[in-house]
Amino acid sequence: MTKQTLANDKPLMCKIVDKWEECFETFSFKLQLPVKVQGAKPGQFIMLWIPGEDEYPVGIAGLENNILEVGIARMGEGTEAMHRKEVGDFVGIRGFYGKPFTPPEDVNHLLIGGGFGVVPLKMLIETLMKSEKKQDIHVFEGARTKNRLMYLKWLQELHDQGEITFHVCTDDGSFGYQGFPTVALEEFLQKTKTPSVIYAAGPERMMKFIFDLGKKYPKVIDMQMSLAGRYMRCGFGACANCAVDPTGWRICVDGPIFNTEKLEKISDFGVYERLDTGEKKKL
Amino acid sequence: MSLATKIGSLTLRNPMILASGVLGTSYSTLKRAYEAGLGAVVTKSIGINPSSGNTNPSIFALNEIRSVISSIGLANPGFQVFREDLEKLLESSVPTIVSIFGESMEEFKEVLNGLTDLPIQAFELNFSCSSSKKDRAQISTDPDLVFEIVKELRTNTTVPLWVKLTPNVSNIVEIASSAVRGGCDALVAVDTLKAMVIDIQTKQPILGNKRGGLSGAALKPVGIRSVYDLYEHFDEEIPIIGVGGIYRGEDIIEYLLAGATAVEIGTSLGVAYPENMVRFFQMKVKKYMEEHKFSSISEITGGAHK
Repeated sequence: MTKQTLANDKPLMCKIVDKWEECFETFSFKLQLPVKVQGAKPGQFIMLWIPGEDEYPVGIAGLENNILEVGIARMGEGTEAMHRKEVGDFVGIRGFYGKPFTPPEDVNHLLIGGGFGVVPLKMLIETLMKSEKKQDIHVFEGARTKNRLMYLKWLQELHDQGEITFHVCTDDGSFGYQGFPTVALEEFLQKTKTPSVIYAAGPERMMKFIFDLGKKYPKVIDMQMSLAGRYMRCGFGACANCAVDPTGWRICVDGPIFNTEKLEKISDFGVYERLDTGEKKKL
Repeated sequence: MSLATKIGSLTLRNPMILASGVLGTSYSTLKRAYEAGLGAVVTKSIGINPSSGNTNPSIFALNEIRSVISSIGLANPGFQVFREDLEKLLESSVPTIVSIFGESMEEFKEVLNGLTDLPIQAFELNFSCSSSKKDRAQISTDPDLVFEIVKELRTNTTVPLWVKLTPNVSNIVEIASSAVRGGCDALVAVDTLKAMVIDIQTKQPILGNKRGGLSGAALKPVGIRSVYDLYEHFDEEIPIIGVGGIYRGEDIIEYLLAGATAVEIGTSLGVAYPENMVRFFQMKVKKYMEEHKFSSISEITGGAHK
């Protein structure tokens, strides 16, 4: 029987059936789910358990025929432990947690990601492309150098096929234009006449910058941003270690995707993170 | 009909209190829990120094038994940092109970003395975090230690002292008696049960700390029995607060009938939207009171002993 989603339960053990180097210090993995499940939604996340090592939240890049794709950038011991895993090894997943992106129709979809943030955007792109209505999808990606651009080949191909418009840049100019992705985003916002929605995922300071930029343009009717980069323990609302002030919203349950109206109310957004001790630290 | 209840000198607008360890990390989540309609909130357990707690996985759900296993390992920001959150919370007049823990009498005293000037409703003494790395269960299972610590802390503060009891003992009444003799103002029963989950694929315990504590629906009958035993022994000598596995309004009634004057609710508020859960709880409790012609919570307390 195909389940709508997974039960909130102990880690579900999944076999790694594929692994490849996505870009510098970043690997993609395909995990075989042992149960039939209809789907995760773009923007949701899983808690990934590397047995005997660590567990942490990971964005979902895709889910098809019970094969879950994730992308893991090297960010510390926990992610290195995953990088050491090979095809045939087992890891555990819990999820699918959190509220997804909710794209409206008849707008420009402007997706902008930095670093690991591009992972959940991949699934959003796939979903938008499947929509029956013609969608204008613009993807803005930036990285320090060419070899750090995630999903570069795939995005270029989609651009060449006319499925999306790909705006790519690097800090050092090794690929695309030299500079930040927000440059192309702002240029686009200055030109466009169509209502637009911005979707962002990545480092919070970057997103805050994008948020402040987007607010200057009335054509931007909504912004949906993922705060899934915060420290989490449970993933389902109990520990509230990921909660933001002053609203008390838990990123894992009330988010991780928040819209403009909600982001306005989160004074921690782009300013403070919460450590595993519960102490707050300036970003 | 009134849902108000008294725990010693403290009056709460209703008997539902947020249990320690859930939604209790910051002023904003505690405030949110209170505004959802609870009678009071208990903070996460606070110690002397910031601590990261145990390696993850440190908490996950067990779907089949509607329960949660955890071993957070007393992660906390330390009482000096947490004091700022408490001050913000108290500005909003949220009835607040501060859960504190220590490795020793001296640590307990330091934390207590560092917070006792705040307008809080009570301290809840955590002697029994069964998820902790070091075996702090020594305090919770040792009647003499419990007596000594409660007695000493009693002389350090006028704030009411609640003692949270572990179910991991053969005679909970014995430990409770020590706490009462030491001068505590209420008993809270029970803390989590010692537990473990092993992954059979990789053949290892799943929690980073291997051992943890069980909360949620599976804990409820253990909590009910504990409250029943305590009430049978103490009758109205000391208020009892029931905790463990409350998922429905009916569970609250069950704890009251066993002898509780209030309940603490943790896991079920954490896994859902506290706003919705509290509304359902209230509706059910009121409906029961109507049907059974109760006009106050105190009339229900201990009803199963008649």
